[in-house]
Amino acid sequence: MARESLLVATLVELADNLVDNYDVIDILTLLSDRCVETIDVASAGVMLGLPGGELQFVASSSESMRALELFQIQANEGPCVDCYSDGVAIINHELGGPDTRWPRFTPLAIAQGFHSVHCLPLRLRGKTIGALNLFRTDVGLLTPADVVVAQGLADVATIAILQHQSSLNAKLLNDQLSFALNSRIIIEQAKGMVSQFDNCDMDVAFARLRAHARNHNLRLTDVATSVVDGSLNIDDLDRSKEKQR
Amino acid sequence: MRRTQPSLSVFTFSGVAPCSRRLPGPSHIHSTRSHAMFSDRLLSVFEIMATHERSGSERGLLCSVASEITGVNGAGIALYADDLPMTRFCTSNPVARTLMDLEITVGEGPCSSSLDSDTIISQPDLTSASAAGWILYTPQALLSGARAVFGFPVRIGVIRLGVLCLFCDEVGELTDAQSSDALLMASVVGRGIVALQAGAQPDSLSEELQSEATFDFSVHQAAGMVAVQASISIASALIALRMHAFSASESLSKISSRVVARRLRFDETRQDWIEE
Repeated sequence: MARESLLVATLVELADNLVDNYDVIDILTLLSDRCVETIDVASAGVMLGLPGGELQFVASSSESMRALELFQIQANEGPCVDCYSDGVAIINHELGGPDTRWPRFTPLAIAQGFHSVHCLPLRLRGKTIGALNLFRTDVGLLTPADVVVAQGLADVATIAILQHQSSLNAKLLNDQLSFALNSRIIIEQAKGMVSQFDNCDMDVAFARLRAHARNHNLRLTDVATSVVDGSLNIDDLDRSKEKQR
Repeated sequence: MRRTQPSLSVFTFSGVAPCSRRLPGPSHIHSTRSHAMFSDRLLSVFEIMATHERSGSERGLLCSVASEITGVNGAGIALYADDLPMTRFCTSNPVARTLMDLEITVGEGPCSSSLDSDTIISQPDLTSASAAGWILYTPQALLSGARAVFGFPVRIGVIRLGVLCLFCDEVGELTDAQSSDALLMASVVGRGIVALQAGAQPDSLSEELQSEATFDFSVHQAAGMVAVQASISIASALIALRMHAFSASESLSKISSRVVARRLRFDETRQDWIEE
């Protein structure tokens, strides 16, 4: 599909999902997936932070442990931290280059086969709430058009998180972000349970939770909560079609 | 508000700095370098905790630190467990204690509302009409000298451990920085409660927390796996992991990574950890 068609399809899909009862993590996972498809990147993910707080991973195009590690390390250092702190995009940062500002992050990213990293701030009305992180395995630069598309998707992500509030009220923002960050923990707890029960990898466990939420028109966080509190049997979860091994 | 009790002067936050007071610290500086700010705030939490530990006030440690770091008059932590009524864990001073006991007695107020809704509760003006919904709590809280009350959920994913409550003797919202500090403190309290339940000595709490500043994802995934392995709740699984980390003198993070890598599991029949 041409990029224009993909973008239009993505916007329609998001509009379709941004209904009253949407799940922030689910929407951001969808956005990460679409970033990988519309921009020439291998992996994408979103990190959020409370004002004055530590950055935390919330969603990614891959749920593998390796991908998670790459985001987790960025609680301390890396392009997301810098982008979030300064509110300025980092584009076409070559990992093998002479720049050594992230001594822990860079070797890990290189070991995972990435050639360059990019990061765009999630901003609304002057407030930075997080960052969209893109990884590329290919040599070569992201074009200005790629950057426009990426920033557009980052802006959509910001609106997805803050949509419920009419003004940028600090209390509401804190509550919404802390809810989103806690949702991620609930999903990790549920992934652990499903992975033990099914004897499968974490990404397969995630796909199963997500498939069940989609099929039954439920919020991902609600499905995860029901699994963890025992009100939904893991056996009764739908199987994922796409990532089944 | 007509005051009916004669001994009111006892119930004041006398000698306690007003709400608007902020600790000298990085939160003062509204710099865009939020991350540096976070590390500095967390560091000051641990520094204050270490100071309180040395002065021997262990019981109220987390509350004193919460009130000090956010710069409010008083703080209290209410604990919650399934099937059990809410209990007072600690308070930073006698007024905070009165307010927490009041809430537990009447069953309404910022802690209960925060726990029920699983959201931050902010009541910046107890004299306003919006506070009248707590028909039993509000009049008594006003008599105790409180004018603004706030509740921050203490939770780790699905595990709801309790509520951190902040009290002020003046009407007014918390500032952005106070609110962020309260959220930071709520997460420190969460980790502190798990550590204490797993048998950490109260006087080692700041050291304990400092060594594991944040829970990484493997901890939550491992808790999920152990919950299924041992047929226990996620809360019990997290405490079991913590206890095992203590007894093995290893970090929670390392123990959890081994569980996720399926090199360590809890055997339900043997009721013990098995290395594979």
